[in-house]
Amino acid sequence: MPIEQAVQTLNLNDPAVFKEWQEFLESLGISNFQANELQQIDTTLGMYNERGSLVATGSVAGNVLKYVGVCNKFSTQGSHFNSIVSALMNLLAQRGVFHLFVFTKVKYAASFQHVGFHELARTDLGVILETGDAGVGDYVRRVAQAAADRHLTSVSKVGAIVMNANPFTLGHRYLVEQAARENELVYVFVVNDDVSLFTTAERLALVKAGTTDLTNVVVVSGDQYMVSYVTFPAYFLPTQDDAIRYQTTLDARLFRDQIAAALHITTRYLGSEPFSRTTGIYNQVLQTELPPAVTVKVIDRQTSGDNVITATQVRRALAADDLASVCDWVPATTYQFMQQNLTQLQARIQEGMNINGN
Amino acid sequence: MEIKKTAIAGTLESSDIQLMISQADSGITIDLQSDVKKVFGDQIEAVITTTLNNMGVTAAKVKAVDKGALDCVIKARTIAAVQRAAETTDKPAWEVL
Repeated sequence: MPIEQAVQTLNLNDPAVFKEWQEFLESLGISNFQANELQQIDTTLGMYNERGSLVATGSVAGNVLKYVGVCNKFSTQGSHFNSIVSALMNLLAQRGVFHLFVFTKVKYAASFQHVGFHELARTDLGVILETGDAGVGDYVRRVAQAAADRHLTSVSKVGAIVMNANPFTLGHRYLVEQAARENELVYVFVVNDDVSLFTTAERLALVKAGTTDLTNVVVVSGDQYMVSYVTFPAYFLPTQDDAIRYQTTLDARLFRDQIAAALHITTRYLGSEPFSRTTGIYNQVLQTELPPAVTVKVIDRQTSGDNVITATQVRRALAADDLASVCDWVPATTYQFMQQNLTQLQARIQEGMNINGN
Repeated sequence: MEIKKTAIAGTLESSDIQLMISQADSGITIDLQSDVKKVFGDQIEAVITTTLNNMGVTAAKVKAVDKGALDCVIKARTIAAVQRAAETTDKPAWEVL
């Protein structure tokens, strides 16, 4: 009977520790050790057996558990797993994080459910689960309350749009108008991750400001449930295209089963995507996954003269100090905001904020 | 006692219970997960509720993952979680022990 070993922090910057850790995970079938994944790791914990070899490990990246691997060869089924997961949860609790996510292979989903995790979405390749003091149920109630506050209750035709709106343009506005015309209530979910030129608070405020006249439109944050770091991780899949398809499938199913079902959303509106490969794949996947529960409507991009309106062009105009060229592309509220905060926005670009992504 | 923030106590190890307590508007709700829930679920929830009542907690959301903890363990973990959540760890509630 091996002696119980305490959980300890692993220093992955030590090449010997890293090598053992990577080989251990590879022996368990985890193969993605790309730099962009590893950089996200905040802390890694591990357990060694009495012979000094690694028997269990797990890492945290923000509020997401990653690289959880356990060898049960010499232990009671699940005991190492439970030790590692509770050590990770206590670690996050010390940092004030009580709502956490994991996305993992299908075969580990039951183990996580066994320690209180709730399944959000699953595909053949992976499962996303959450646990803690808040959940998707609380989120959906908050969103429904936002609609109730606007007296938009007992409606039967409900539409939804998910957008980053970096920043909110007339192209976005056109999409919202289309949806507002065809539905009694439209939810606009604004992507929550703060990795864009315009901060989450700014993007949310500009979407709200640009749609105040549309009385049946409710603008809310997409929280961690829509197109977030949590639903879009690039984890254990070998190639990039596979990863996008896999992640967008999880995102689509989470939307369909947890969000749309609870909020009675019947139609999701998408802007056609001529430029971004990632968004193109995402749109394809949404059209495969959402129907018949949710109808998908792809609206052609709004054009201004010969040009297709994109937020990317607006950001480039900002960088080139040529705001006037996109005056006709954005609502007055967005234009005003950009004028007033020009120096600050340009400073962010100079500091290296990528303006060519999404 | 008022729950001021979310707090956690206990582990997922065998014979322990992991308890997370967070704010609620009113009343006590317990979300219990346990392999022995069928037989001991009511008993476990009763121990948690009684301990909360004894500490003067009237509104709280509790998420508990039980791994076969005895009543004394459940009680101890509940007290620890409440004291952390109410930010009173510097004043141990000896009388409820």
